[in-house]
Amino acid sequence: MLFNSYTFIFGFLPVALAGFYALGARRREWALLWLTAVSLVFYAWWRPVNVLLIAPSILVNYGLARALEQTSEARPALARAILVAGIIFNLCFLGYFKYLNFIEGALNDTFGAGFVLTQLILPLGISFITFQKIAFLVDVHGGRVSRFSLADYGLFVLFFPQLIAGPIVHYREMMPQFRAAPGRFDAENVAVGLSLFFFGLAKKLVLADPLGPLVAPLYGQAAAGVPQSMTEAWIAALGFTLQIYFDFSGYSDMALGLGRFFGIKLPVNFNSPLKATSIIDFWLRWHVSLTRFLTAYIYNPLTLNLTRRRMAKGKPIFGGRSPNIGAFVNLLAMPTMLTMLVSGIWHGAGYTYILWGALHGVLLCINHAWRLARPRIWPDTKAYRRKMVPVGFVLTFVSVVAAMVLFRAPSPSAALLLWKGMVGAYGVRLPQAVFSRLGVVAGWLTSIGVQPAWTSGSLLLATTLRIVSLLAIALLLPNTLQMLAAFEPAIGVKPAKTPPRLLHGLTWMPDRVWAVGLACVALAGILSLGELSEFLYWQF
Amino acid sequence: MGNPRSFLRTWIVTLASLAAVVVAVNLLVDPYDVFGTPRIAGISLLKPGAKNHALLAKTYQVARAHPVTVVIGSSSTHIGIDAFAPEWPAAMRPVYNYGIPGGYATSISLRTLQEAIAVGGVRNAVVFLDFQNFFVPEHPASGLTEDDRRYHTTPDGAPNPHRPLQVANDMFLSLATMGALIDSLSTVAGQGNRDLLNLAPDGSSTEADFIDAARADGMHDMFAQKDAFEAERAGEIARIMANWQGKLPNLDIVAAIIACARHHNVALALVITPHHGDALEIYWRNGLWPRVEQLKAELTALVAAQGGAVTLWDFLDYSTFNTESVPRAGDRRTPTHWFWEPTHFKKQLGEIMIQRMFGSDAPAFGALLTPNTIVARDAEIRADRQSLICERKAALLTAVETAGADGCAPPEKAPGPT
Repeated sequence: MLFNSYTFIFGFLPVALAGFYALGARRREWALLWLTAVSLVFYAWWRPVNVLLIAPSILVNYGLARALEQTSEARPALARAILVAGIIFNLCFLGYFKYLNFIEGALNDTFGAGFVLTQLILPLGISFITFQKIAFLVDVHGGRVSRFSLADYGLFVLFFPQLIAGPIVHYREMMPQFRAAPGRFDAENVAVGLSLFFFGLAKKLVLADPLGPLVAPLYGQAAAGVPQSMTEAWIAALGFTLQIYFDFSGYSDMALGLGRFFGIKLPVNFNSPLKATSIIDFWLRWHVSLTRFLTAYIYNPLTLNLTRRRMAKGKPIFGGRSPNIGAFVNLLAMPTMLTMLVSGIWHGAGYTYILWGALHGVLLCINHAWRLARPRIWPDTKAYRRKMVPVGFVLTFVSVVAAMVLFRAPSPSAALLLWKGMVGAYGVRLPQAVFSRLGVVAGWLTSIGVQPAWTSGSLLLATTLRIVSLLAIALLLPNTLQMLAAFEPAIGVKPAKTPPRLLHGLTWMPDRVWAVGLACVALAGILSLGELSEFLYWQF
Repeated sequence: MGNPRSFLRTWIVTLASLAAVVVAVNLLVDPYDVFGTPRIAGISLLKPGAKNHALLAKTYQVARAHPVTVVIGSSSTHIGIDAFAPEWPAAMRPVYNYGIPGGYATSISLRTLQEAIAVGGVRNAVVFLDFQNFFVPEHPASGLTEDDRRYHTTPDGAPNPHRPLQVANDMFLSLATMGALIDSLSTVAGQGNRDLLNLAPDGSSTEADFIDAARADGMHDMFAQKDAFEAERAGEIARIMANWQGKLPNLDIVAAIIACARHHNVALALVITPHHGDALEIYWRNGLWPRVEQLKAELTALVAAQGGAVTLWDFLDYSTFNTESVPRAGDRRTPTHWFWEPTHFKKQLGEIMIQRMFGSDAPAFGALLTPNTIVARDAEIRADRQSLICERKAALLTAVETAGADGCAPPEKAPGPT
């Protein structure tokens, strides 16, 4: 069931809320059981067999967690073995469904292994759920989680607002909220939830979805080996970047809003990533909960382990003595590359995703290296920031947009073709209709190599206007977290001490003006429900 | 700080009120002519919104129109045939234009003919066939499309069990979607424009899009743009046809069209749609003219097997109508008489065709194809081309630079049955 469907908005959600509030008025536990039950229905709606896959996995993980809880202090070696077994179990579960075909295909490609590829049913949200379950086991082993029942754990895994596409949550940030949830109708929570949900719905349906039909043919042509001129290649790159931007932003807002209906605050997952002024900044804004997971459970343990080893060998590390290239490569670049490769593989079983992760890893390493080297090259931090923040923004924006081509392209060769198009390897073409209206400028354009083509001028104009408008929205307007900051729309979000200038008139308040405005936004979203489309991140 | 309860009350009341207004506006304006709401001058007399929803709109229109004659075909039929033209004989009226623009396939012609017959009263059918559609096999959709669900009958003629739900869905989407609202507002806002695109109740469409494009870019650019498209298409077709053996694709669909018409005692005229010489030359120079002749021969054989119950008209030739000259580059003012671009004929030419097929005293354009006339017809067309292209050196092809040789050598022999 999609969040952006009539069934969800006018059927499932009202029933889920009515049952939750009605039962919560009597006993909170009943409300939470109801929430687990409706989450299971939500999960099963698409393909009931999914329940048969996830339910045993929940039971096994719960059993392992119980065993960990009992052995962590008394028998640490056994606990460690249980933890490793749990992680392997979950990774195998994910690997079988998500990566088996890819691995067999890659072996066929490389060694002619002759595996027969079968179409496996990919359980919904398996990547998100797996990471959450692994994090839970690690937290139990580390003593950060205790006192949990099967009902608690079931609700933690299945809670439908974040079940399919995140944010990836931690047990310790969710369970206290479930235990303290009022279980009753709370006007402020519902007002905040409604606002987040319908802002998200409008972002998804009104802003993101119309870009799909514009960019899909360009990627299709690139996949077929048709070179794209600079104009089309940039439309493909920018168009998809904005499509996934508003799609994921919309989904994240809707998830926050849905959680809030039940009195639950979810963590920040999306915070205007296109405004980032460095790649490090980008990853602190894009899919924040994934970055947090990868940092906490892959990057940090790896760095810690490598640091200890270097210290034991008396080699320089970050910290006391100034780091050398060896320390940088071993303690920063290598863990970063590995973490980003995992990020790429997590997103999808395909070469393009792996390369996308690797590319971001390289960009992060460059960014880290510059951060280390810059104080020596350019010691005046104030002057550096004043002059280089805009440069950093442009570099980050171009890098992110170029990398998104790899994320969307059906194959690395198609991405390469589009990249070559973006740098002008296949020339620049403009529709004849545009050319014939440019007067003397047309002659100048021809002299610098711009060619007329029999493509649609009105389509190019409409697409360009759409892309420019969406860029303006993404880069200039405050985001929903900023607008609703006074009501803590996500865990830990508070009003900024120095709010952006444009926020002044856009600070959300539960007043009548906002109610009317939000009703218009909601209507735009609801009226756009006719064309069903999945969230891009649901495929992961 | 505001009051959340008051916020929620205001939100609900505003949303419900706005939704009611949207539904009322969409019902009143009826941008896709789904409900048949009476057209109101200044509000909804003209229906430009149906442009992108022609199959939806026309499937509801045809049920209300009760036509005696139905005209079926692609966008060229939709644009070029006027169901209200004075050339239609009285006995054939009312006429409904069931031509479908965008994403056309011959199989759609079969389903629209079945639909027109299912709603009752149809005695004559005129089915236009685009020659290019017989060079690429059509594959049936993997599941039922929205259109399949909307028709009154299934392909085998049984009542369609999916229709009630699809009708409810159509009604809902025509009342409560952003697209419908935008189209309603555009409909009202555009009523003052006398050149506004309009889908008439008889299925005919005004030529507003072409008029606007001709004003903006001139006829030369319109021809050149379509030439470029057709050149690409012809290249692809040439690749498919290079190794094609036996009968051409999709003729079984024409056989089904004939069977459907005969089963319901509907007089059927099949028409090979005229194209401008630009398009003909593109296909000729891609070596496809023998395939065009093969198509005509196979259609003729198919029709001849019906014993005179079906007629086959051929307007695909190098006559003066199809080879009118195209204005030069940069000339945005000079109009053309018969074609908007190589694949879309104007209503004037449509009227001549109607007169030629069903009237008298019509100009000499097109010919009835029968086993007795086809050989002479093919030879005549080749002679016309030889005279036009090879002897008079007429400059067809507006902007295709990569077309093949003009083939002014002795004509090749068609590979298929003749």
